[in-house]
Amino acid sequence: MRHGKYPFIVGFLILPVILYVVFVIGPYVQAFQIALTNWKGVSATPQYIGLENFTKLFEDEVFWAAVRHHGVLLLAVPAITIVIALFFSFLLNVAGGSKGGNLRGIWGSKFYRVVYFFPQVLAVAVVGVLFQAVYRPDETGVLNGLLNLVGIDNIGWLVNTDLALWSIIGVIIWQGVGFYVVLFSAGMASIPKDVYEAAALDGAGRFRLFFSITLPLLWDTVQVSWVYLGIAAFDAFALVQVLSVDRGGPDNATTVLPLEIWRNAFTYFKFGYASAMGVALFFMTITFAALTLRVTRREKIEF
Amino acid sequence: MASIVLRGVDKIYAGGVKAVNGLDLEIKDGEFMVLVGPSGCGKSTALRMIAGLEDISGGEIHIGDKVVNHLPPKDRDIAMVFQNYALYPHMTVEENLAFGLKLRKMPKAEIQRRVVEAANMLGLEGYLKRKPAALSGGQRQRVAMGRAIVREPRAFLMDEPLSNLDAKLRVSMRASLNQLHERLGVTTVYVTHDQVEAMTLGDRVCVLKDGVLQQVDTPQNLFDRPVNLFVAGFMGSPAMNFVTADLVRDGIAFANYRLPIPASTFTDKPGLGDYIGRKLIVGVRPSDFEDARSANGHNEGWARIPVRVSVTEELGSEINVLFTIDAPPVMHKDALALAQDAAGDEADGSLPLGGGKSLWTARVNSRSQVRPNQDLELVVDTHNLHFFDPESGLAIGHPANVRG
Repeated sequence: MRHGKYPFIVGFLILPVILYVVFVIGPYVQAFQIALTNWKGVSATPQYIGLENFTKLFEDEVFWAAVRHHGVLLLAVPAITIVIALFFSFLLNVAGGSKGGNLRGIWGSKFYRVVYFFPQVLAVAVVGVLFQAVYRPDETGVLNGLLNLVGIDNIGWLVNTDLALWSIIGVIIWQGVGFYVVLFSAGMASIPKDVYEAAALDGAGRFRLFFSITLPLLWDTVQVSWVYLGIAAFDAFALVQVLSVDRGGPDNATTVLPLEIWRNAFTYFKFGYASAMGVALFFMTITFAALTLRVTRREKIEF
Repeated sequence: MASIVLRGVDKIYAGGVKAVNGLDLEIKDGEFMVLVGPSGCGKSTALRMIAGLEDISGGEIHIGDKVVNHLPPKDRDIAMVFQNYALYPHMTVEENLAFGLKLRKMPKAEIQRRVVEAANMLGLEGYLKRKPAALSGGQRQRVAMGRAIVREPRAFLMDEPLSNLDAKLRVSMRASLNQLHERLGVTTVYVTHDQVEAMTLGDRVCVLKDGVLQQVDTPQNLFDRPVNLFVAGFMGSPAMNFVTADLVRDGIAFANYRLPIPASTFTDKPGLGDYIGRKLIVGVRPSDFEDARSANGHNEGWARIPVRVSVTEELGSEINVLFTIDAPPVMHKDALALAQDAAGDEADGSLPLGGGKSLWTARVNSRSQVRPNQDLELVVDTHNLHFFDPESGLAIGHPANVRG
């Protein structure tokens, strides 16, 4: 068998590896290369300028604003989304108590399950347009209209620099929760129901049931969700692009790195500078993923 | 500790399926009660209703002197051992044992004392820091027991706790369960489909079929005086042999055999005389047979029947002799239910027999050294014949049936 083993493995791997190298590794390497030049997108022989792009990056206020926003997104989006999704999926699956030997959700849980998933199937552009109507700063906005009814003045959801980013975070969470409800529901379904029953006999109420049984047994799923949501927090390009005032405004209050990269590359044609930003984003994402996986690592739980 | 009383308890599932039907049962303080029956007979449902894991559709359940129908499980002061152990997989053995006590806000020192005590009792001292995944099946089973013991509840409920263990371990755990019950003396309700477990563990055994109580009695009484065809066939292994026979003046006739019936039987079983000249169902325990050669001496009341052996199962000290008799199998609904239960999921578990023949089992001493396809003369202890009404399947002359 010896002579047949390596050709066999290589035969299977060669095509995917070639595709991966050409379309993933290649562009990354190229980005690292372009980041060291002052290429404007036209010249056939771009000039190498060393690390000048990176030193400029460190003095660029817009870049730091974007990094700060990613920091906020990174803390807020996964935490809030996961908490809300856990709460909903617990209500949908366990909180209704046991009937006829099956754990059930609260009344109407099948209906809510569908409703929660709706935002997930909408295209980002549609969501953007939808929330422009919701967040409109005058009394024709859905939110302001409602607030006017209870006597609160119009709020500039997307035009107030202190509020704009949080308004967008709200939309990201609104859109994301449904998926994680489904994910956590699947996780909860895989917990044997007699474990819940044993806990009920041991005297655990809903609250204890959640924190002592459900959450620890769901930890793997939560951890994966955290990584997904964190990586999504490094993106947020499409929603900011569609929803925010002046694409990342007002006054760069909502801008994010992918948006700045896109702007620098395709509006200002500073491909070298944009690539430097891309390299910075690459390292941030990698660091985040490695950190999360390390920090949240736990023993594998077997049922 | 407390007694548990069920009064007319019903369980009706959505769709009208009646899992438990008017169950009346009184479990005395400190008693080991076994609920036994084929799968789907409602025994687990009954247990889960006592635990509070299932709603009660009708009737009342008392634990101690309290009606617990609407009490949530945690307020019933009972502990349950599940078939799949239901240990908390993310907690160590120690945390598993202590969880219920912590939730009841017990002082730390007391929790520690109880956990250590239970661990010693069950031989779990060395495993307290392990997680369930790192334990064997038997050890997990003991942790599940320990979790019930530390609570010091008024009653233990056990739902087929030994069915996931291998045969040898099951026997030794059965013995430990017996010891534990002797030592703690806590009221125990134990559900099983294994009649050997039921016989060996129970102070009393309750046989259920299709959600209806058949008979509650001590294991020996169930074996010796089953109330109907179903109980007779369910208790005892190998199962009782049945045949439809004619009762004549002083004996029964079936196939080409004729067995005399001792006069004492007619006095013991009032009402049996009324069946003279009619058909009834006769039951013979395999253990009431013996090889005629090795049964020399006690011939009184023992009738001889010559048979042709078709299969033998050698068990070391005994041999199960399977032979056919020239009589059609009993088609009573109880007998069919038993056959179905024995066959399990298979469409037909028994050997295909030619028309009008049924397969009987006799248990003889291994000294008989009988081999398949030999002719063998068996003796039957005619004192221990069982008689059942061919219509109702009720045991003729059983006190419970005579009264009604």
